[in-house]
Amino acid sequence: METQPGASGTEPVAAVYRQALPQVYGYLLPRCGSTVVAEDLTAETFMAAVAAAGAGRLPAAGVTVAWLVGVARHKLADHWRRTAREERGMAAVAVLAEEAGDPWDEHLDAQVAHAALARLAGPQRAALTLRYLDGLPVAEVAACLGRSVHATETLLVRARAALRRSYREEGDLDA
Amino acid sequence: MPDSLDALRLPVVPVEPRPEFAAALLRRITGAAGPAPGQPATVRYFVTDLDATVAFYRDLLGFAVELRPSPVFAMLYRGDLRLLLSVPGRAGGGEALADGSVPAPGGWNRIALRVPDLDTAVADLRRRGARFRTGIITGVAIRQVLLHDPAGNLVELFEPGAGYHERAPQTATDHNP
Repeated sequence: METQPGASGTEPVAAVYRQALPQVYGYLLPRCGSTVVAEDLTAETFMAAVAAAGAGRLPAAGVTVAWLVGVARHKLADHWRRTAREERGMAAVAVLAEEAGDPWDEHLDAQVAHAALARLAGPQRAALTLRYLDGLPVAEVAACLGRSVHATETLLVRARAALRRSYREEGDLDA
Repeated sequence: MPDSLDALRLPVVPVEPRPEFAAALLRRITGAAGPAPGQPATVRYFVTDLDATVAFYRDLLGFAVELRPSPVFAMLYRGDLRLLLSVPGRAGGGEALADGSVPAPGGWNRIALRVPDLDTAVADLRRRGARFRTGIITGVAIRQVLLHDPAGNLVELFEPGAGYHERAPQTATDHNP
C-alpha cells in the first residue's frame, strides 16, 4: 500500500484518540446542541490535527488532549462564522442600543441563558461562548476570532445586548 | 465587578459519541478511507464513440487528454477533476457486472463545471455546435445550463449567483490547522 502524504501525522493522533475523542466531543456537543454538527466538527478537528502533525507544524508530543480541545474551539468559532444569522442579530441590536450600557445584574437562570444563547449565531454566539462558557480572557477570545481586542470588546457588548433580549423572550416562553 | 454571565460557565465533561461515528473517524485518521490531500476527484462516464467524446471534452470544454491507452478507455483532466471515459461491455472500467448487467451512458446525474460568464460560454458553445438539453435556467444561488456529450451524458455549466457557497480556501495556522 502506498504511503499517503501526511501519514506521519496519523500516529500521534491515533495514539491519543481513545482519550481525546470524548473530551473533544464533550466540549462540542453542549455548545452546538446538535449531534450532527458536533460529529462534523469533531471529525474536522481530528483530521486537522492529522494534517498539522503530518506537515510538521507541531511535534508529535504537541498532540495533546488540551491542544485538540483548542483546535475544536477554533472549528466551532469557524462554524458559527459561516452561519448567516449575524444580519438578523445586528438588526435586533440596533433596537437595543440604549440598553447596551446597562449593567446586567439580575440573577441568571443558567438553563434559560444557555437556551437563549443557542438562538444567537455567528460571531455573537462564538464570542459569548468563548468568553463565558469557556471562561477565556478577552485577548484569547480575540485571537480565536481573528479580531482585534477592541473589535472583540465591541462585539461582546453587542452580543450581551442580543443575549439579554433573547433571554427575556426565552423567559416569556417559559412563563 | 462580578459578571452575571459567568453563571454560564460550562466545564468540559467527556461524552462518548456514537460507536459507529467513533470507528469511522478512526478509520479516516489511520488512512484506511479517503483520499490523500491533493488527489483529484474522479468521475467515470460511459461512452459509445470514444473518439468523438474525447474530442467533445477536449475541444469544447477544455479538458486535457492525459491517457488514451486503448480504443475503450481514455483519461482526461480539467483542473482537479479527472474524467474517465469507458466503453460499456469492454475491459477498462466498462465490464459487465457479475449479475450480467452492463453499464450505459445517460441519465440525469452529471458533472457540474463552473464558468465565469455563462452567457458567453453558451453562445460560444452554440456556435461550435454543442447540443443543449436546456436553455439557461436561474436556480438557487446559480444560473445553469445542461448540454449533452456525444454519448448522451449530461454536463452542467454554472455561474455563481447571490448566496453561492464554496468552501473557503483552507488557511491553516498552528492553533487552527
